[in-house]
Parts: sequence; C-alpha cells; structure tokens
Amino acid sequence: KMSHLGNTNSSLNVSSLRELARKQLTTVLDSVRGKKCLVLDPNISAPLSLIAEFSLLKEHGVEKVHYLQQGPLETDLKSLIYICRPQLNYMKYIAGHHQKNDPSSVYEYNLFFVPRRTKICERVLEDSGVFGDILYVFYHLDLIPFEDDLLSLELDNTFKELYLDGDYTSIYYAARALMKLQTKFGLFPRVIGKGDCAKHLADMLLRMRKEVAVDDPSSTLSVSQSIDSLIIIDRSVDLITPLCTQLTYEGLIDEVFSIRASHVEVDSSIVGPASQKSVATTSATTSTTTTTPAQPSPPPPAKKKKIALNSTDKLFVQLRDMNFAVVGGVLNRVARRINEDYEGRHQAKTVAQIREFINKLGGLQSEHQSLRTHTGIAEEIMAYTVTPEFNKALEVQQNLAAGIDINLQNDHIEEMINRQVPIVQVLRLLCLLSIVNGGLKQKSFEFFKKEILQSYGFEHLQTLLNLERLNMFVKQGSTNNKFSSIRKQLQLIVDEVDEHNPQDISYVYSGYAPLSVRLIQCVTKGCPTSINPVVTGAANNVAGTGVSTRSIGWKGYEDVLRMLPGKSFDEVQRLDDGTIRSKKLIQGQQPRVTLIFFLGGCTYTEIAAIRFMAQQEEGQREYIIATTQIINGNSLLNSIMQKIDHLGHSTSGSS
Amino acid sequence: ITILESYEQKDLNERINKLKVASSRYQEDKEHAFEAKAIDEYIKLLHTQSQLEKEIPHQQLVGLSLNDTVHKCITTNHSNKANKLKSDFKIPDKRFWWIKLKALVEMRDWDELDPM
Repeated sequence: KMSHLGNTNSSLNVSSLRELARKQLTTVLDSVRGKKCLVLDPNISAPLSLIAEFSLLKEHGVEKVHYLQQGPLETDLKSLIYICRPQLNYMKYIAGHHQKNDPSSVYEYNLFFVPRRTKICERVLEDSGVFGDILYVFYHLDLIPFEDDLLSLELDNTFKELYLDGDYTSIYYAARALMKLQTKFGLFPRVIGKGDCAKHLADMLLRMRKEVAVDDPSSTLSVSQSIDSLIIIDRSVDLITPLCTQLTYEGLIDEVFSIRASHVEVDSSIVGPASQKSVATTSATTSTTTTTPAQPSPPPPAKKKKIALNSTDKLFVQLRDMNFAVVGGVLNRVARRINEDYEGRHQAKTVAQIREFINKLGGLQSEHQSLRTHTGIAEEIMAYTVTPEFNKALEVQQNLAAGIDINLQNDHIEEMINRQVPIVQVLRLLCLLSIVNGGLKQKSFEFFKKEILQSYGFEHLQTLLNLERLNMFVKQGSTNNKFSSIRKQLQLIVDEVDEHNPQDISYVYSGYAPLSVRLIQCVTKGCPTSINPVVTGAANNVAGTGVSTRSIGWKGYEDVLRMLPGKSFDEVQRLDDGTIRSKKLIQGQQPRVTLIFFLGGCTYTEIAAIRFMAQQEEGQREYIIATTQIINGNSLLNSIMQKIDHLGHSTSGSS
Repeated sequence: ITILESYEQKDLNERINKLKVASSRYQEDKEHAFEAKAIDEYIKLLHTQSQLEKEIPHQQLVGLSLNDTVHKCITTNHSNKANKLKSDFKIPDKRFWWIKLKALVEMRDWDELDPM
C-alpha cells in the first residue's frame, strides 16, 4: 500500500516537501553565476542525492563535485560552492583551501550552511582571516522525505548531543522543521509526548508559533484538516528497543551492512553475477565506509556497489518490514513466478503475442535484477544469523527483555568478552542488562568494568563513564527498577509470534514489542483489543463505542508514564478565537493522519511496527514518521564511545 | 579531560604524569574510587609494558590493552612473562585461558595446546 514519492496516495502530500527542497537548492545554486565546483560535506551528500540527482545539479551549472576534506582542493573552476553543516573542522578546511590558493587568483567562495551559520563558525573564519572573502547563504534543508510515510532530518549523534553534551541544537532544527510542516499543513491540533527533551521540543514549537503570530498577525495558521496530532517520543524514554538486534529484513540489513540515507553498500560480488567475483577482489574500494562492528570478519577490500533501498523496488517494499524468518520463502516464491513468466515466451505463437511478451520483458528483467540483489543480500545476512555468536547474543537479549534467568546472562556476557567479540556488541548487552534490572549489583558492575578495560583497552574508561552518566550502565540503587511492571502493563513480551501472519507489532523482534511504539499505541488507542494493555478507566471505552470516537491521549496510562523517565505532556493548540478544530474533521471524512516525531533517532523496526499499526487500522488512521535520524544499537553506542584515533590501538585478538 | 590530554603526550613519562593528576582528582571523590583504581592500574600497565619492550625486542607494547599484551608475550615465546601479567593484574583464569588458546592456535603450537 505504500507508494513511492511522486505518485502519492497519502492524505498528506509529503513529496511536495521534496519539491520545495529541490527548488531551494536550485535557487541557491543559481545565485552563483557561471560554471561552478561543488564542495560537499560528506555527511550531506547522501541525503542531498535524495533531493536532487546529478543531472539537476549539472543543469544549474555544477561542473564538478568534491568532498569537503582536509588538504588542498584542486580545480580549475573559479566559483566554489561549499555546502556543509556548521562544524568547526569544516571551517578549518575551507580556510585552508583559501590560504593555499594563490591570493592574486580570482576564486570566488560561496558557503552554504545547512541549515544556518553559527557564531562559533564565523569566529573560526575570522581568526583565519578569510571571513570577508566568503559569501554566505543558508540552505534550509531539513526534513528529507525518504518515503511517503518517512521523513528524516539526517542529523548524526543527536541522542548523545542531547543527553551527554547538553547540546540542544537538534531540538531547534526539529522545531524549525515541524514549524514548516505546520505552515504547510496547518496547526497540529494536539501535541503529545514523553521525555524531557521531547518536552523542550514541544515548548519550543508552541513558542515559535506564537512568535510567528506576533511578527505577522495576518498570517494566522488554521488548524490542520488532516493531521490530528503530533506525538513526540524522546529516545531516552526507550533505550531498550535500539539495543536489541532488529529482526526485520531492512533492520537486519542495517545491523549487518549499515544503511545510510536509504542506500547500502555491499560487495558487488554479493549482488552481481558470480562471474564478477574474480574482478571484484582486485580493485580496492575508493570510499572508506565505516564497516559495522557487527560483521563477523571484515571482508577483504572488494569492489563496492551502492544499492538504493526504497519503494521504487517493488520486491523490497514487500520484504522490508517482514521478519527475516519468512524472507527466504518469499524470495523462493517470487523466483518461481518470474521463471514461469519467462517460460511464457514459449506460449507466444503469433506476432502479437510475441510483441506482448517483449513489452513485458523489460519489467521482468528489472524484477529479475531486484530478485538477484535481494537473494544475495539475504544469503549474506543468513550467513551472519546462523553463527553461534549471533544466536548467543540474541538469546541473551531475549532473555533479558523477558526477564528470564537474568544471572545466567552474566556468564554469557563474560564469555563473549573472553572471546573478544567486538566491544559494541558487549556494550549493547551490558546496557540492556543494566536497563532492565535497574542497574547491576556493585560486585558485577565493577567486575564487568574491569573486564572491559583490560580486554578492550583502558581508553574505554571514558566510554563507561559516559554510559553511566546516561543511566545506560549503572550500579543498582542509582535508578529505580520498574521495567518488570512496565513490561507487564504494556505487554512488551508476546510469547506466541507467528512471523508469517503477525498479529502484533512484537513480530519485529520475534517476541518483544518495541516500548516506544507501545507508547504510541497508548496514545492512539491503536492496540487491537486482544492485546490491549489491561488498564482501568478510559481505555475501556475502546471496545464498546467503536473506532470513530476513540480519543487520543495518555488517559488511562498515567501509571506507566510515571515509571518511565522524563516528563509527559499533552497540549492542545487552539486558534485565537478558541475553536479547536473544524466540524468536518470530527465527522471523519478523510483518514486521520498522526505525525510521530522521534527525537534522538528511531530504528527500522520501529518504522516497521508503525507501518504494521497503520495496516491494522485499515485506513482509519495513517501514520507519518519523522525522525532526527535512523539509528541502530551500533550507531547509538558508537556515538557515545570514546574514540582515540591516534593511539594506534590494535585489536589483534580477532584473528 | 586530563585523561584525554594524557593520550596527546608522546613521551611516556609525561603521559603517566597526566594520569597521576587524573587519578588523584578521582581519589578525592568517593564515588569514583573505581576510576582512580583503574587509572592507577593503567599506569602500572604502562610501566610494565615499557619494561617488557626492553626485554622483548622489536615489539611495540605501550598502548596495547592488557589482553593484547598477554597475547604478544605468548606469541613471542615469553609465557613466563604472560603468567606474571596474569598474577600482577589478577586476570581471571577463564579469560587467561581464552587468550592463551587464541595465541597458541595462531602460532599453531599444537604441543602446547594439547594439555589444554
């Protein structure tokens, strides 16, 4: 049911955001005359490619594209356009380019900040004496549409910035982006959420709306006709979900290969015909992508192929949100069908029939290619999921989430450290252990810390301190353990999961329902009644009165909310005359759209679970997911881990 | 922060001095007894490593983790030094045997492996 951008059947025209971003990009490009050289922030380049293809850049005078990095920039083009995030290291590189170039030459520097320039960046450029020679423009690239139901700000490390560094820049960017959505689609009638930073975001959004009204009284926003509410979920509320290994197809692709801006890079030998294998090993990869620590052993440098993972690939649409356990069977069936379709050529007797077959052939071939790609990827994931290490880690996770044999899990984790599995995997389990138990006993807390320092290196002392500050790895007593009652009240563990025919969102982790999405179900009362958490009060009216009167809000779930960290809130946005919403909406003439914003990132499993909810609602409600970025346990922990590059630290243990 | 600075010190003694400052700062705070102890242990490791570098030629040990240091000792046929590290740093038996097992497999030293 999900359509790709461009031919939308969503009640919210998300692709119009893409058009807007494209138009803004071409406008800024056109503001510089003549042929130009584009110098891109490597982190922006992938999301930017979702907005504009190279031919569009070319139409607007871009001759060459370079990555912004340290060292000299060689180009004969005189107009340089830098597009980058306001980061200090980038400012230093740019200043370096400027100083190296012949001062008498006529280079023209243009710097586009995404999304705005900061005082500290200005300072760096001033100190390098280049500030006055550069032209500054803003490029307000914010929410990038990945799919009709998925938008991302593509910021990195937001959780760490918010909760470890106390840096709230991402809240500001998020509020700006949401404000833009309100300008386009109308005021969100309700803003509901959970988490301290989520509360900051909601407050900032309400304030921004008031400021707009003061600045320009004529431009009063009307209440949205299609969006019924904005739900903001803060990552700090649910750290369990990202720490668990995602078991959907797209989630596992991300765990094994790392997806960036809906693209994945894999060895071309995996997805290409087997004959390419000999060629592939000879040429080394040019772009150094960060290999996931999850990979069992880093493959020898081989030719990489970039694969787009989006809904233009019909087979991928079918597979992406499925539990990986059923993916093999589907691929098999599709293979058989394609084969039959090819065989159809033998039935073609007349010229007209042959022509008809040939017309079909193009589609058939692209289907065939897609099948080959996904069979290759699935085989690679399969090879990873059958390893004892993977299964042991999964078993530990599932036991921890379900609260089974907790003490036994300590031994398993100790053994993993002894086997020197990558530290990220160990930390994922230790944090999970700590969070579900409300901390470790003093003795085992110090034991594990010592094990980690001695096994993986002393520099991780800072990592451990960071995790402690984030309440992710602590000793008992520093937090209250309420997970077991949260688990019970929200029915986070579902014993019987039918992966082929899932009845509940818990299928995405084969038994564990993501806490964050359960909270969203609390708000929208979107649980099927069979698994509806047992609560007193308001939730009971769900069964009797039918879908149309289901009320949105936290009512009935106050107890659970109190057990989770952070503030909860529920604000109503009214027009100045006091009307809350138009009559039309109450009568439910069109599907209600609920916008969900994940502050601090969300996982592919959470996206899959929300899409599953939408299907369960059978058109009564649509969900649009917006997030600061898409994360998994590895990227989350990597952002928190202390990195000391110049230490020359080697991990010879993994031989 | 002092710990971070310590990594920037090329000179081992300078690095150790920085660490000593960090350690004493942590000692002032009861809550951070573990950290103070960990830093002291690291200083001890750095001392040991630089001493070992003199005794085992052509090996860079300073900067390695304790596990990797033990591993290096075994692969360079200095098992007695590995055993000393085990007792000096109180490495649990289980972990020590894992390191030894890996190192011996890497060396294809089946004779030593056999009794394990």
